[in-house]
Amino acid sequence: MPPIKDKYTIHSKAVVCQDVELKGDITIGAGTVVHPKAAIYAIAGPIVIGQNCIIEEGAILVNRRKEVMRVGDDNLFEIGCRVESPTIGHFNTISAKSRVHHTVRISSFCVIGIRCLVLPADDEILPDYTVIYGGSTSGDAAGVDAVVERRVWSGRGKVQEADLRRKHAEYLREMLPKFNRVRRGDGS
Amino acid sequence: MAPSVNYHCPCLSSAATPPPPNLPSSSYSFHPLHTLYFCEECDAVRCNRCVSVEVSGYYCPNCLFEVPSASVRAEKNRCARNCFQCPHCRNTLSVVPSDPPDAGDLTSSTIQIGSIGEPPFFLYCNYCRWDSAEVGITFEKPTGLALQLQKTEDSAPDSLEFERLKEHFEPFLRASSLSASTSHLPSTSHAPHTHTNPITAAASSALARDIPGVGKYNPSLGRSGGPGGGGGRSGRDRTANKDEMPEYRSRVQIGGAGSGGDEDADLMRHLEVPAEIARLEQRWVSSWATSLQSKHLKPLRIPLHSKPTKRCPSCRHILIKPEQKAQSVKYKIKLVAANYLPAITAHLPHAQIPKRPVALKSSVTSSTGPPAAEEDTAEPTMVAGKTYPFQLALTNPLYDPIHVRLAVQRAPLPPQLQSQDTAGTTDKEKEKTRRPPFAVSLPTSAFPIAAFAEAWEYEDEEELFDEDGGLVDKSSPAKDRAGKGKTKTVGVLEKKANCTVVGGEVVIGREGRGDVKFNMLVSYTYRSDDPAPSDGGEGDVEPRSPTAPKAAPEMKTFSFFTVVDLGVIVPKDETKVE
Repeated sequence: MPPIKDKYTIHSKAVVCQDVELKGDITIGAGTVVHPKAAIYAIAGPIVIGQNCIIEEGAILVNRRKEVMRVGDDNLFEIGCRVESPTIGHFNTISAKSRVHHTVRISSFCVIGIRCLVLPADDEILPDYTVIYGGSTSGDAAGVDAVVERRVWSGRGKVQEADLRRKHAEYLREMLPKFNRVRRGDGS
Repeated sequence: MAPSVNYHCPCLSSAATPPPPNLPSSSYSFHPLHTLYFCEECDAVRCNRCVSVEVSGYYCPNCLFEVPSASVRAEKNRCARNCFQCPHCRNTLSVVPSDPPDAGDLTSSTIQIGSIGEPPFFLYCNYCRWDSAEVGITFEKPTGLALQLQKTEDSAPDSLEFERLKEHFEPFLRASSLSASTSHLPSTSHAPHTHTNPITAAASSALARDIPGVGKYNPSLGRSGGPGGGGGRSGRDRTANKDEMPEYRSRVQIGGAGSGGDEDADLMRHLEVPAEIARLEQRWVSSWATSLQSKHLKPLRIPLHSKPTKRCPSCRHILIKPEQKAQSVKYKIKLVAANYLPAITAHLPHAQIPKRPVALKSSVTSSTGPPAAEEDTAEPTMVAGKTYPFQLALTNPLYDPIHVRLAVQRAPLPPQLQSQDTAGTTDKEKEKTRRPPFAVSLPTSAFPIAAFAEAWEYEDEEELFDEDGGLVDKSSPAKDRAGKGKTKTVGVLEKKANCTVVGGEVVIGREGRGDVKFNMLVSYTYRSDDPAPSDGGEGDVEPRSPTAPKAAPEMKTFSFFTVVDLGVIVPKDETKVE
């Protein structure tokens, strides 16, 4: 495997902290916030992150495939989650400590619950408004719930949630640079 | 499984000594220390099985509202304010306003909604995204939700049915409570209870009361207070009941509404995803006549919790009394055994060797016996025919230093018990079980444990730290040598603050099987604060807390039994295979 060539394209309106591990070809869109201690690894192919996403501490985004990993707009990656999905739509919530494997593609308005492990054997596309949540209280040794429940969200309240997500990102864009060094892209 | 030490509560038997630990039933007499209480008046250990429990208050675990006990029954033991549970995942639901009319494009950054809540409101689960609008429950205003739901709840067929049943039985209950109050008086005179408070009296009278409807079916049990009038009265009841008890007809036909009909069979036949059917635990809390489908599940009012008060069963003194306020987690009275008895933890030094670094491990394990050390298992295994040291760490919770004496209970099993125990086994096996599978040696002399002191008292005492360090240095090679079984393993190994570690040794017989589990009598002597009550206490103490005759007059001794479980014996041939 050839050495990974680093190329970071960070929009001038994005807030990416200095203490973030980036590898490979990464594009980060306007208004996206990447907390310190997050990690984005474009190992095989590039990663393109859309607008107004929030990537919290300890979150890991990995692209293991050749093709571009596309992350849409207004997604929230909570603390300690690990996502390898090749495509992710808009307004998704990946909750804390959950793990999503590269066999899953996520559409829009999906919620992966806390500590949930999404690992289907075959490639799968989660339809819009899918909610995955831990059914059992007993996790395995790795600290994730392998047995998960699945529901379809009615979508009621999504406007309010979207509004909240926007405000969340807006607040972080204002506050994070006050306490953290911010990384700039290659271009700027 | 790590070695464990459990404490004996003598409430289950009249004998002072605990049951032999190899009987499965003995586990009911032994409890972890943190679950036990201590009655100062009786000078005895009490457990959750023997204390009498009274409810001192009800509260909602979500909104922490203290519900007056008068309204608990009316509200069906559930929160009657704004607290609901998600029927799918049991998370707490929150009330949210509806979305404004859909702007169409969410990705446009012009979403501007204020904090103005727009009706209708609905319940929303933040975890699994269920909302009550799915089952058609919406609210006009975001407060008093249970009140708003009351109408639909009360008109539900199952609650109507329940009300009707209550109405139906009301006259019989009233009649029976009347008859119970008349028949109760003579029965209390020969009741064995010497200490009754109103609550236990009410409970026992409720249990002893004649229920007319039941008496009809088994008239032989229709017993009442007077020996003369008993038969006649129950006979009269029987004849009267035939007229009094009309047959109850239910409002709805069972099977028609939800369960077991053709509809359900049809539904099952066309099932695509198993999640369409509500699981048993989701339907468990509802009535029997709910729909099978998970999309019909309704939000549940959160069940109330209670704060119990616990009393000593013999002297009625309060052992546990929580603070009334639901927000507070403190206790007004808390007499737990952990504050009176030394805490004992057991561990096997040979089980810890594998956890050490590899280089050290190889040097240590090369000479040691246990093959468990070679396997990289953290599980303490003991092989038959070998000798193992073990350590007991005793921690003193008292503000006075204590002297502790340990003794292994050597009382053999009574012969008939033994034969019962091994009734189903062959003679050869019987022979094996008769021989004790292991022998335990413990330090026989009493050893001191320093008094408990708050942590800050140690803070500035440099020399104490030095002493500790020295002790640790001295003791850690001793432990290693103990692992080789060459040096002294039985005796006091380490003293540190209010904790003393003593070593023991267990010799496992060649044919040893089962658990290394033995009863240990712990007696400790402490200086009693005022001799007068101690004398009084010693006068009527139970045999399990005998006063040491040699002790100085102001010293007091308390004894209790524990069971020490060190683990399972691995038979010798099995390890050879490995």
